[in-house]
Amino acid sequence: MLSYILRRIVATLPVMAIVALFVFSLLYIAPGDPAVVIAGDQASPEDVERIRQSLGLDRPFLVQFGSWVWRILHGDLGTSIFTNLPVSTMIGQRLGPTLSLMVVTLLLTIVVAVPLGVVAAWKAGSFIDRAIMGFAVFGFSLPVFVVGYMLAYIFALELEWLPVQGYTPLNQGFWPWLENLILPAIALGCVYIALVARITRAAMLEVLQQDYIRTARAKGLGQGGILFIHALKNAAVPIVTVIGIGIALLIGGAVVTESVFAIPGLGRLTIDAILRRDYPVIQGIVLLFSFVYVLVNLMIDVTYTLVDPRIRY
Amino acid sequence: MDRRTVLKGLAGAGGLALTGLSAPAIAQGAAARTLRFVPQANLANFDPIWGTQYVVRNAAALVWDTLYGVDAKLQPQRQMVESEETSDDGRIWTFKLRPGLKFHDGEPVLSKDVVASLARWAARDPMGLMILAIQQELTPVDDRTFKWVLKQPFPKMLYALAKNNAPCSFIMPERIAKTDPFKQITEYVGSGPMKFAKSEWVPGAKSVFEKFADYVPRQEKASWLAGGKQILVDRVEWLVMPDPATAAAALQNGEVDWWENPIADLVPVLKKNKNISVDIGDPLGNIGSFRMNHLFAPFNDVRARRAVLMALSQEDYMRAIVGDDDALWKSLPGFFTPDTPLYSEMGGEILKGKRDFDAAKKLLAESGYSGQPVTCLVAQDQPITKAMGDVTADLLKKLGMNVDFVATDWGTVGSRRAQKTPPGQGGWNMFHTWHAGADCINPAPYTAIRANGDKAWFGWPNSPNAEKEVTAWFDAKNLDEEKAAVGRLNKAALDDVVYAPTGFFLSYTAWRKNVSGITKGPLPFFWGVSKTA
Repeated sequence: MLSYILRRIVATLPVMAIVALFVFSLLYIAPGDPAVVIAGDQASPEDVERIRQSLGLDRPFLVQFGSWVWRILHGDLGTSIFTNLPVSTMIGQRLGPTLSLMVVTLLLTIVVAVPLGVVAAWKAGSFIDRAIMGFAVFGFSLPVFVVGYMLAYIFALELEWLPVQGYTPLNQGFWPWLENLILPAIALGCVYIALVARITRAAMLEVLQQDYIRTARAKGLGQGGILFIHALKNAAVPIVTVIGIGIALLIGGAVVTESVFAIPGLGRLTIDAILRRDYPVIQGIVLLFSFVYVLVNLMIDVTYTLVDPRIRY
Repeated sequence: MDRRTVLKGLAGAGGLALTGLSAPAIAQGAAARTLRFVPQANLANFDPIWGTQYVVRNAAALVWDTLYGVDAKLQPQRQMVESEETSDDGRIWTFKLRPGLKFHDGEPVLSKDVVASLARWAARDPMGLMILAIQQELTPVDDRTFKWVLKQPFPKMLYALAKNNAPCSFIMPERIAKTDPFKQITEYVGSGPMKFAKSEWVPGAKSVFEKFADYVPRQEKASWLAGGKQILVDRVEWLVMPDPATAAAALQNGEVDWWENPIADLVPVLKKNKNISVDIGDPLGNIGSFRMNHLFAPFNDVRARRAVLMALSQEDYMRAIVGDDDALWKSLPGFFTPDTPLYSEMGGEILKGKRDFDAAKKLLAESGYSGQPVTCLVAQDQPITKAMGDVTADLLKKLGMNVDFVATDWGTVGSRRAQKTPPGQGGWNMFHTWHAGADCINPAPYTAIRANGDKAWFGWPNSPNAEKEVTAWFDAKNLDEEKAAVGRLNKAALDDVVYAPTGFFLSYTAWRKNVSGITKGPLPFFWGVSKTA
């Protein structure tokens, strides 16, 4: 197992290299010039050119790419063109809010979606099943920002239960941290909950038809035990897979959610960097996201062995 | 017990409070001493000479002081300077600093710091460059005195040092001011009324300013960038909110205290809230503009440019930008900011009265236009340019022009507008923008009105008549001469259509009623602003 994990980690290197080349090339050919943004409206073309030179943006593609790769190999993601801060510092500042949002959303999803899917499968064809699946369609259909605005309006503006925006670090208290994340997590989690609930239902339906479930019922095992111990464990592989794949959804959704709820996370940093053409920051974030995605896939593979002992690497 | 407490209790009962981490108890007094402000944009960098965005200038005005400051009457007033003298021939300026000025690191402000700061500023500022071109020497005389010797008189010296247009001549310690003006500074030490809390800076999200206890304000009443800058709160937090709806909700909810520029669509909601005040933020407003490329057909012919101007309805543009609120716009038959001393409508007839499409089409035909595509760059991520772009597309189509509407983002427009290649080869025919009214009160900071061909702003207009009047304004000895020169400049720029002004528009600012002391001005002034719990 350990050698498998090591092999997989090593295998991420070529993936990262391809991502790096792709991202760098894409940004190079994309229109836009950070020097223009920096110089402002009143700047002369000469000013813009001097800024381009000072940023090294006038150098040939291969020279820029080579120097970037060299820095990456030395663990240096570079410095933001605009803030003059190291990209690693900027990512570090933003990692906490995004990670918090993703963790809370993930927990919320698992706590809500899995039981919903299980119950829907248990009561397949009933009103409860249809209601849950109706909710799933609803969750799929509503854009994150619409859900976000609705939640903010109801729970923050009208009821005044929760704040509209912002983020409080965990070290300033658990409740201040959590209260800022509840609405964003619900907004972001809607699609995710819908997806996981549907997959759980489908996987459970298949398992509930198996002979060993009938045997368990015949032995007089309680419904809860059958559903959540015997059936769910055997239906877990596709559920774990979709939870893992859904993390990509979360990364994409976090960009919108963080804007709607003014959470200073990586999603907003990405948007800001793209709009300003802050190349080092964009490159750093994309590399980070691709690394996370590869890592999540690895974790899913490892999790398979925990839920199904027959799987071995 | 309110619902929020119940919710907290439920969370606690669920075991959520078992982490041992408790919420901080913020005292009422402490909350009242922190002003939470939503700025117009993200403070992405903090070098007011290197980066000239308005948001940087606005933040810099808290941290760095200037030798002079412009007041609400647009007059330069002494700020860090105690006195100044001019030689009889107007070539030698000698300035003396106020006593007791200190930087945030405790060091005194010396004339060597001023000299280094002015040198860095002058390398990036249009007026500074004019001074540099005639500079003989800029030297410290003693710790509090410095001298600027010129080869010829420069009557607008005090205005150059006081102006609020970016870049302002902020004074920094010599070691910082010696940074190449095309490279960013890394230390943010000023002598202004507030200190920048670098450790709390999260670019794109939050910037914090703390009261500088050793700041010595002037005795005069504060007026814009002049007078006594009394800071009445301990801390100002700038919270960036990219989504206007979120900012509006946060203001209504009391999570922020002051929102610099609410969008027009949300103002009615804010006005209905009894806890919120809404008023015009900057009385100098903004001037909408679309620029035509003077290098290529059809707009290399003045008749084509005038044809567009004859058909252009400023009301259409303004309503597209500000909606139905008539308090927010006025037509502008010229280029200079309304209600300022040099405002002129000379030559503005072409923009007044009923729009004459028949005459415009005839003039366009005379210019030789024969249906070639007109590449119109429209940034969709800026509500103002998007609104103007839609109106322009409609206008050009009504004139019978073949519009190549390029919907893109501001970053791309910023880069593409610098291309001098033909429109079909990566160039352009027109793009939209707007200018802060503070930049259009006279020709000095007004880059967009310059018409010196290759050296002019994007579109590269060439109008010797307009340029002659710019020079006449710089040489003017008094306000009457200045007014006359600007009137003639207005006419020349309209005759040659340096650019097309689409109207004058204002925007609101909004704050909670427990905040007082907010004044109208070209930037948010934090001195004199206080807050109750």
